[in-house]
Amino acid sequence: MGEALDQLFATRGAAPAETAIILPAEPYLDAAGEALRRRIFLTRGEGGENLCLRPDFTIPVCMRHIAEGADLPRRYSYRGQVFRQRADGPAEFVQAGIEDLGEDNRATADARTVADALASLETCGVSLDGLDVILGDQGLFEAVLRALGLPEGWQRRLIRTFGHDGQLRAALESLSKGPEHALEGIEAQLIELARDREEGALTRLIRGRMEEAGLPSHSGRSPGEIAARLIEKVAVAEARLGEGPLQLLQDFLAIDCPLDQAGERLGAVMGTAGLDLGRAMTAFETRNLALRAANVDLSRVTYRAAFGRPIDYYTGLVFEARERGAEDPLAGGGRYDRLMTILGADTPIPAVGFSLWLDRIAAVAK
Amino acid sequence: MTITLAIPSKGRLMEKSLEALKSAGVDVSAGETRSYRTQVEGFDGLEVLLLSASEIARELRDGTIDFGITGEDLIRETIPEPDRAAAVVARLGFGHADVVVAVPEAWVDVQSMADLGDVAGSFRARHGRRLRIATKYWRLTQGFFSRTHGIQSYRIVESLGATEGAPAAGSADIIVDITSTGSTLLANQLKILADGVILKSEACLVRSHARPHEPAEVAACDELAARFSR
Repeated sequence: MGEALDQLFATRGAAPAETAIILPAEPYLDAAGEALRRRIFLTRGEGGENLCLRPDFTIPVCMRHIAEGADLPRRYSYRGQVFRQRADGPAEFVQAGIEDLGEDNRATADARTVADALASLETCGVSLDGLDVILGDQGLFEAVLRALGLPEGWQRRLIRTFGHDGQLRAALESLSKGPEHALEGIEAQLIELARDREEGALTRLIRGRMEEAGLPSHSGRSPGEIAARLIEKVAVAEARLGEGPLQLLQDFLAIDCPLDQAGERLGAVMGTAGLDLGRAMTAFETRNLALRAANVDLSRVTYRAAFGRPIDYYTGLVFEARERGAEDPLAGGGRYDRLMTILGADTPIPAVGFSLWLDRIAAVAK
Repeated sequence: MTITLAIPSKGRLMEKSLEALKSAGVDVSAGETRSYRTQVEGFDGLEVLLLSASEIARELRDGTIDFGITGEDLIRETIPEPDRAAAVVARLGFGHADVVVAVPEAWVDVQSMADLGDVAGSFRARHGRRLRIATKYWRLTQGFFSRTHGIQSYRIVESLGATEGAPAAGSADIIVDITSTGSTLLANQLKILADGVILKSEACLVRSHARPHEPAEVAACDELAARFSR
């Protein structure tokens, strides 16, 4: 199975990237967040630095690319062991995949990523007939929020919960509540100043308090930043999410249909409110065309509007292939345009990739 | 056959623990000297050890003691699956303290975890680094931020003492710490978020389930536990 995959990756123009098994842990904790700490095998080097056993390939492949400063666009492949602490299932397993870096034509890169993931599954002996392939797009969700004209504070809050159904529901619920709740605990004087948009006065007041508390002025949140957010918060609290936009958001998030019908469904939901998703919709349709061109049967892919990953470096496409009715993915991937700069690249680099869970695949393919 | 119970080795926690044992009919004399041995009357086969509160939580996790009296905060911080590996037999009504999320008072725009989530979410874009949280409770912090509130973008700075001073020292932006009266937080001009109480802790008698026991030991443990639930 492994060698067949290596061959497939080579024919798809991806060259193997070597990565170490023992890696610095900081980039992981920094990029993916502290929640990862519980799930990785951490140790300390003699000098006190945090090290971990490779929990995935994406980050070391990207870091290596940045360190070598190789030309772009470029596709990297990998296959090897990864290590994660899990309540059930082995802590050590094998993954393979491709990272596609620097391709400016995002539709093309997205489409070949999905196509390559599906081809990989077939190469491993998994029939696509027995799979659920689910696709989501954070770009569309963000476009819906913009089109509804939601205040930026709300947009940020909802985007952060995207892909996490329970939290998204909770956020929507609290946004539809009145302002009394949202401004509880703020001194009346501050609310007045914020309402009058007295940014200068607020900033001075906050600076005074920071100095009194001995907070360092050179790092962390500045008085101006706090004042600006307070003004925004008061404005947002007094704006309140109306019935109409709330219903529309819910209708959008409920879309769950074959990908070849998604355009129509999106048009119907947004059309009732006379809203236009603009470039995000064009990007979505262009990607669908590219998927068709890459021989992906759109009627066998499910578009789920609420499907995403609540990690802040994911930016657009997200997809997973699971055995029908199963929870765990056999393959998964997505677009992570913000990761490369987080890891230290000088300029933003478009990036998309997928990985395969070879142990699960082997169990299914039998 | 002996079963072992560990209690805090000094201060008010020790005195209160001894009182709690006494009212359950277990008389422990913990010598005048700095010895960690004790004499026990009123329960056959019970050995009482004096350990530090955090050590007690670790020993419960590892099953090297059968019972321990220590703070619930330490139990939940030290034991990965506290409800499986151990059981709270009785809440003892002393050693009250809350584990809380506290931010600088000057953060006048932040009252709730939702506000903090928003600040954390845009922190890197503004400051080139993650929001930093000083704490010695990394497990509780992570569970509360990541699982309860869905906040992923932050870094934990492990703190070994004087956590409340971290924001002023510039080593962290906010803290997660234990507080009983709140006066230390107040003195450092930190405020607790409205929904920022992670745990309301008090001293508990905890039974370890980490190692298998002989039937006679089980019977003795049950008997000891029963004396506290009466």
